[in-house]
Amino acid sequence: MDGTLVAELSASLSPDRVHNDHLEQVLYGRDASLMRGDAGVVCFPLTTAEVQACVRAALRHDRAIVPRGSGTGLAGGAVPLEQPLLIVTTKMTGIEVDLDNRVVWVQPGVINLDLTRHLKPLGFHFAPDPSSQQSCSLGGNVANNSGGPHCLAYGVTSAHVVAIEVVLPNGELAVLGGLGADPAGVDLRGAFVGSEGCMGIATRIAVRLTPNPPAVATLLADFVEPAQAAAAVSAIIAAGVVPAAIEMMDQRITQAVEAFVGAGYPTDAGAIVLVEVDGLPGGVAFETEKVREVCMAQGARSVRVAADEAERMLLWKGRKTAFGAVARVKPNYYLHDTVVPRTKLLDVLRQVYAIADRHDLIVMNVFHAGDGNLHPLLVFDAREPGILDRVHAAGEEIVRASLEAGGVLSGEHGIGLEKQPFMALQFTQPDLDAQARLRDAFDPDGRCNPAKVLPAGSRCGDLAHLDAHHRERLLADGVWV
Amino acid sequence: MKLPLVEDELASCVSCGLCLPHCPTFRVTGEERYSPRGRIEAIRQVHVGNQPADASFVDMMDTCLQCRGCETACPSGVPFGHLMEAARQGLNEQTRYQPWYRRVGYRTLAYHRALVIGSRALALVQRSGLVPSRRLGLPDRLPLRVPALRPQTVASGAARVWLHTGCVMDAWQRDVHAAALAVIGATGTAVTLPERIHGAGCCGALATHAGLVGVARAQAEATMRSFPGEDPVLVDSAGCGAQLKDLGHLLGTDEASHFSTRVRDIHEWIAEHLDRLPDGVGPRRTVSVAVQDPCHLRHVQRAHLSVRRVLAPYLDLVELDDEGLCCGAGGAYSVLQPELAGDIRTRKLESIARSGATLVASANPGCSLHLAAAGLTVRHPVQLLAEALGLVDG
Amino acid sequence: MSAGPGPLAPLPDRVVRDPVLLAFADEVGGVDAGPVAVEGGRTQWELGGRSEPGTRLVRAPAGVVAFEPAEMTIQVRAGTTLDELDAALEPAGQRVALQGLPRAATVGGVLCVGLSGPTRLGHGHIRETLLQTRYVSSEGLLVTAGGPTVKNVTGFDLCRVLVGSYGTLGLLAEVTLRTRPRPQATAWLAGPADPADLFDRLYRPMSLLWDGETVWLHLEGYPEDVAVQTAIALEAGLQPMAGPPPLPTGRHSVEPGVLRRFRPDRAQRSGFVAEFGVGVVHGEWPGPTQGTPDASVVTLNRRLKQLFDPTGRLNPGRDPLAPSNGKADHR
Repeated sequence: MDGTLVAELSASLSPDRVHNDHLEQVLYGRDASLMRGDAGVVCFPLTTAEVQACVRAALRHDRAIVPRGSGTGLAGGAVPLEQPLLIVTTKMTGIEVDLDNRVVWVQPGVINLDLTRHLKPLGFHFAPDPSSQQSCSLGGNVANNSGGPHCLAYGVTSAHVVAIEVVLPNGELAVLGGLGADPAGVDLRGAFVGSEGCMGIATRIAVRLTPNPPAVATLLADFVEPAQAAAAVSAIIAAGVVPAAIEMMDQRITQAVEAFVGAGYPTDAGAIVLVEVDGLPGGVAFETEKVREVCMAQGARSVRVAADEAERMLLWKGRKTAFGAVARVKPNYYLHDTVVPRTKLLDVLRQVYAIADRHDLIVMNVFHAGDGNLHPLLVFDAREPGILDRVHAAGEEIVRASLEAGGVLSGEHGIGLEKQPFMALQFTQPDLDAQARLRDAFDPDGRCNPAKVLPAGSRCGDLAHLDAHHRERLLADGVWV
Repeated sequence: MKLPLVEDELASCVSCGLCLPHCPTFRVTGEERYSPRGRIEAIRQVHVGNQPADASFVDMMDTCLQCRGCETACPSGVPFGHLMEAARQGLNEQTRYQPWYRRVGYRTLAYHRALVIGSRALALVQRSGLVPSRRLGLPDRLPLRVPALRPQTVASGAARVWLHTGCVMDAWQRDVHAAALAVIGATGTAVTLPERIHGAGCCGALATHAGLVGVARAQAEATMRSFPGEDPVLVDSAGCGAQLKDLGHLLGTDEASHFSTRVRDIHEWIAEHLDRLPDGVGPRRTVSVAVQDPCHLRHVQRAHLSVRRVLAPYLDLVELDDEGLCCGAGGAYSVLQPELAGDIRTRKLESIARSGATLVASANPGCSLHLAAAGLTVRHPVQLLAEALGLVDG
Repeated sequence: MSAGPGPLAPLPDRVVRDPVLLAFADEVGGVDAGPVAVEGGRTQWELGGRSEPGTRLVRAPAGVVAFEPAEMTIQVRAGTTLDELDAALEPAGQRVALQGLPRAATVGGVLCVGLSGPTRLGHGHIRETLLQTRYVSSEGLLVTAGGPTVKNVTGFDLCRVLVGSYGTLGLLAEVTLRTRPRPQATAWLAGPADPADLFDRLYRPMSLLWDGETVWLHLEGYPEDVAVQTAIALEAGLQPMAGPPPLPTGRHSVEPGVLRRFRPDRAQRSGFVAEFGVGVVHGEWPGPTQGTPDASVVTLNRRLKQLFDPTGRLNPGRDPLAPSNGKADHR
């Protein structure tokens, strides 16, 4: 039944870039999450025009489309449902530097770290550096509004994207934002960033060039107790220092990662904190000393400053490969990425350990402590009967504990498919309805990555004719009744 | 189809995708089917799920270079090489996966004398211009005469080492062995060569990669028997070294595991004996040398840094910026998958060009042939070392 | 994988029960309450088109709701002035990157207009300061957009479209903003210099203004660093100054690269002050300006308005696409 669709796509792209092989569709049925879906035809466009051709072909055949980059998403955002046309951007890897405007235009398939390497000789980099940066694509970074350790000081992807050329779900082309200081209209660019593939497909992205800092210092502080480490994180911020990054790893994850990288992490520490300060040399020297002082005052056993670039890279390698290393403990993991107010970090962390204990699960914590972004990894062996239920129950409790502390559901991984049900915990129905309207402005027919992000029933119905009584009820309960 | 793999090894992949950019075939295609994560998932689908081991599956397995770059990149330590070998073994045992002529070809590698004679015959035909050498992955000029190898005379009572001479390398690149003998001799160490007519030919690496476990075991066993005693066995081919260091896994015997502990890559050994080498002679080379790491030295043996330690005192080295991505040679791969191998090599050539080096050092015969076929000047690090020491002519 | 049986209900604290906000929602009213707009400090009142006559004007509540210095966020009512905001943060050595904007302006007002001040080069766009807002929808409902934490990608990013929407999509009632430490040292320098050359030699200056002849440079940071950067500026021919030049009226938007290439003749100089590296030009701009948006972008703007305010009751007459919105030419 895909025959004509394949034929049309083959004619627009080329036959070797339109795949309809069953086993391959199975491979594209998943990303880095636990979710599994069902891919239809898989195509690999090279240009904006080819992406448009794909979207239009899908439109003619009444097929939904799902954009996909490297497939490193952790929330099932790229998992295809009901055999959509999968538009894979990995072959779109063009890079054009525009030094005059201090931006670089990239195609969506460019790998985050490749871009930074490309820019290095020019003295610039792309600031968002998610832990998957060696693999994840810029298109994926835009879709998820990716963060990474360094977004503590530099901001997430949204702050670095200046303009996006987008193929809209109806096949039309639009440039959202622009290189000019104040593009006309509302900030559609900002709406698109983080839209998880639900508002169209980015085909060219202009991102800001961030100058490489003249000086950088990376510190590793080790603590006997995770509580001391968490207190140190708060104390650093309270001391008026905003480092480029503050990361924390507990003992279990430190041990797993150390077995891979051999970075010299103290494996007997209850928790380690990795801090990076950067900028001009004076500030770096000042902040390095300040961070060291604060950590020692909070009970650090030692504070080590990376002696050279090689040591610095090694310290970071350990942090950035942490998720992948969990299979050294158990073959599967399920994680949330809630953010809690920095001052509640310690409290929520304690609850996370208690929740895992209650469900007889192993939890490993590695996270962006500086901005309160938790990544509790519940590790398990899916072959053990009944364990998934325990994992999910514990996951929900972690989400509740985070939200009750005044936090949010996701700091950087997005909602995708996996976290969708929890949206209703954080938002009222009018909140969700407003988000649904934003999506509808781009994709009125729900063709692009359908059934993601917003849970079913997010739309409130005809609010335009809301009477006073129902308005009062909605205001009082937050739920449409 | 059940594949002869260890299920816990298969379960150890969490699909994080950190391997993707470290896979040469994913790098040039951007397709999941040509990535380690995709291949593992395909193996899972065939082994655990009910997917047939169809042509698509075979293609996914066949296009893997077995460079094992994914292994060094994998935080979970997934033993990808084992999984891939098991998949190919399963295909061999349960399907008509390897055609008869390839099976015969792998077996022939063990018959060393026949190989040397055959190579000479091919060299003659090559001079006639009738052989499309580059397409077949052959060196431009196969040697007509293979010089006899003569270990240096050293003081009696000196320590002894073995030098593994292998199959194709001994036939085509015996001058590398000659350089190795000269360098080892210069440290005052005696070298024993294996008895090569009936003894050590192919170590079985190519058959292992092809999943021909029976052939591989027989060849490995014969090779092991050619090195009696306890003297270290030095290997100047990265692929062979990787194979010989892992015989415990292949043969499953204590004897094999013990043998593997005696195996050293020649650069590892030289790096430990640098103080015994004389100073370099003549003016230092003015060109800088790009070090190309053979995958089986970098990702499998993880001994690539010793090449730098050995060369750095004598030559100006430059590093490539591609994080040790495979050059596309992959044993017989460049012949079997010429298109992918070519695309992968192009990436390597670009990286070499960016480095500004005009000379490439590569410690594996397959890589040097593959790169030389693209017009590069490639020498074995041991050759560069021997020249710098004035032991052989440059 | 599901999160258990049945749909989940919002946690009790996610339903807004703050009487001040509820009162504001009631004042705005539902769809039957007619055209309505929020009046702030009237500091940029003329932008975005003329408010339609007959529009009922309301004021957003004012005052600081919560400020936790260790959190580096502050929650304030939208009607709070920038002056009041600054006064609340100053004792803790913090501030919000809403610098260089009129002190009498309200926080809600400057965000609705969405135009950054002249330190955008260093502080980033003002939209980056907004973490969460509670606004009143055209139906008179309180809607929460974004989240109170410094990092958040939960759901679609409504905050971004609200900044710069001139109150045509929703009326801001309360906002949570990101704060930053105040710098230990600051400096202003000015003098005739090549702005491009200076820009390339400095590390992340806060502001680099240029009138075609003179460059004004603003530096912030640790004293030692400011001293080093100051030395670079002095060497380039700048001298210490008390502050920035007065910015002439009129605002244009160009690509920052345009400023790099623009070589004004004598007559063109000093009629403008450009934000180098950003592309905002204050005053009379003799060079090329930004083109008009794509038709598809216009359509998206219109559709968004239609979906958020089907009856057109929110701030009628104002339009983020209007030529007089301060983004393109206006006098």
